Amino acid sequence: MSGWAAFGVFLLLGAAWTAAWAFVAARSGGSPLGYEDVSRGAARVRRLLATPILLVLAVVYLVSLRWFPYPSFATQRLGPPSVRVEVRARQWAWELSRTEVPANQPVEFAATAVDVNHGFGIYSPSGRLVAQVQAMPAYVNRLVVSLPGPGTYTIRCLEYCGIPHHGMAATLEVK
Amino acid sequence: MGAYESIQNGRNGPALRVALVYMYTGFILFLLMGLLGLLMRMLHAELLRLPPQWYYRLMTLHGAGMVAAALLAAMGGGIAATSNRLTHDLRWLWTAYILYFVGVGLVPLAVLFGGFAAGWTIIYPLGVAYASGWTAWSTFAFLLGYLLVALGFAAYCIAMLQAVLRRYGSLSRALGWPVISGRAQPGEDVPYLQEVVATVVGICGLIAVLAGAAALVPYFAHNLNLTGLVDPLFVKEMIFLFGHTAVNLNIYLAAGLAYASLPAYTGRPWKTTPLSALGVNLVMIFVFLPYFHHLYQDFAQPVFLSAIGQFGSYGVGVPALLITVFGGLTLAYRSGMRWAVPTILTFVGFWGWVFGGIGAVVDSTIAVNQVFHNTLWVPAHFHTYYLLGAVALTWAYLYHLATELSGRHESRTSRLAAWLYGIGGAGFVMMFFTAGAAGQPRRFAVSIPSTGEQTWAFLATLFVLVLALGLLWLTYDLVTRLGPAWARARGRA
Repeated sequence: MSGWAAFGVFLLLGAAWTAAWAFVAARSGGSPLGYEDVSRGAARVRRLLATPILLVLAVVYLVSLRWFPYPSFATQRLGPPSVRVEVRARQWAWELSRTEVPANQPVEFAATAVDVNHGFGIYSPSGRLVAQVQAMPAYVNRLVVSLPGPGTYTIRCLEYCGIPHHGMAATLEVK
Repeated sequence: MGAYESIQNGRNGPALRVALVYMYTGFILFLLMGLLGLLMRMLHAELLRLPPQWYYRLMTLHGAGMVAAALLAAMGGGIAATSNRLTHDLRWLWTAYILYFVGVGLVPLAVLFGGFAAGWTIIYPLGVAYASGWTAWSTFAFLLGYLLVALGFAAYCIAMLQAVLRRYGSLSRALGWPVISGRAQPGEDVPYLQEVVATVVGICGLIAVLAGAAALVPYFAHNLNLTGLVDPLFVKEMIFLFGHTAVNLNIYLAAGLAYASLPAYTGRPWKTTPLSALGVNLVMIFVFLPYFHHLYQDFAQPVFLSAIGQFGSYGVGVPALLITVFGGLTLAYRSGMRWAVPTILTFVGFWGWVFGGIGAVVDSTIAVNQVFHNTLWVPAHFHTYYLLGAVALTWAYLYHLATELSGRHESRTSRLAAWLYGIGGAGFVMMFFTAGAAGQPRRFAVSIPSTGEQTWAFLATLFVLVLALGLLWLTYDLVTRLGPAWARARGRA
């Protein structure tokens, strides 16, 4: 899911909440009503809200399982990877077994680190964060992803790894 | 219970003085750490230039200091809000404070003099055996600081559990289980909600401290060359189990303060009902489940744990929204409530808790986390439910406490200042959310041009100044109330 689409959903939900909050705030200081009446009404609203909230959360949860980025899920969605890239992170550089991969095809990045935790973040030529996975010592994390369109992608470290962290970058040609 | 019981009962003066010390220390620390936060925003806005090591030092100090400040202030509030019905063992509370204070003191020492800059989460093995740009002693000082803070928090948890056990005899009664199950006898001494919160925080806090110990042992052992690399995934789990739980308990402690103060302004009691007690009890389950979301991008973590993380992150919001916040809004709705600094900040606190919670739920969806993890979306959501949630609720209570004890009246300017805190804070966090959606990494000394972060940080700086303006006025109010409040807690006025 793109970051901006998620941002849109967030703004929508946030605006709905802010409107409800403002509704209550605007009516809190005015002429008082008996608490019994308010409590009864509130209990009804709570019951009305509870079911749709729980239902929406359950549906989103179940639907989102399909979009898990984990290798078995990604492979099922995109197909088996045609290319594998070994990624070794060290303070403060990336070592990639190849720096050229095909566009719009599943590619597997097998990421590990020789020293501390790093974050393997892939940015598109337009600067959008496409995908990421942690690169940590003693483990190999497999990221299967299809990179959308050709161009020069930038690899940035997304896990703070020491003072020169922000300069830890590499490029990946997608053709 | 009546609608509101005054804070003082004629016997709790010593406990109130401890509470004032905790809360004012937390508040001062918060101001100092906030200043560092402003500097960080100014660095991204390029209004200020410093070498990158200073960005990371400020980041480390700001993160560790702010978490410590907010928690300490909420802990103090927890003492005050329960002190008119519970008898606290003051020796434990002072011991907790001293341990905490010394521990917090070691952090700036390590950062400013030793150059320590591993971030407040110090993700193992960063800074242990590798050249990362800071001195070896500073790592020890920082870790020792954490150890003392954790021990201080544990002492506090023990003191709170002692206090509830002294009154209610058993944890189940202190947790309000007879109320939840409908077995409470008429006239039975049932705990107030803030006392149920104190019990939950006491239990969960001790569990979190154990996880913290499990994380700290490998750090010390590795640093002393007693062991090689300990499983970094395990240590990461323990770090986040401790960190996530401690931060979330801070939020619930702060919510407990609203239970205690809001009735003073609405004239309505926030009763311990089966539902409200259940809402607090559910924290004991839900506070531990979401922490797996910190490890979503560790694909080596078993997938079912990530799935539990998403489930827990969704689930934790439901009782918070539908029981606690909903209960608070019900208490205020058509109550003829007096708008005062504490009620304004409490409303800001409800808004921020839920708004930040929405940001958290969006980010906790694993598919979305692929593009939000470790971007500024993360500080965006936790600043929202911290600065505008837990911390706002805590300052609401501090202001309520200081005003009631000092007998001072607040001015219209004070109320305006409280709104400025909320408005400035909301603008500030929205800039974080926007930069996060654009892909700006967090914990990054520079702004990436394609994300527009420099502009967002510039606007954020302006909003922080609005917030600071409000906060300055409230600081003046709080400082001028301290003397008379202290004297009243000593029984002199």
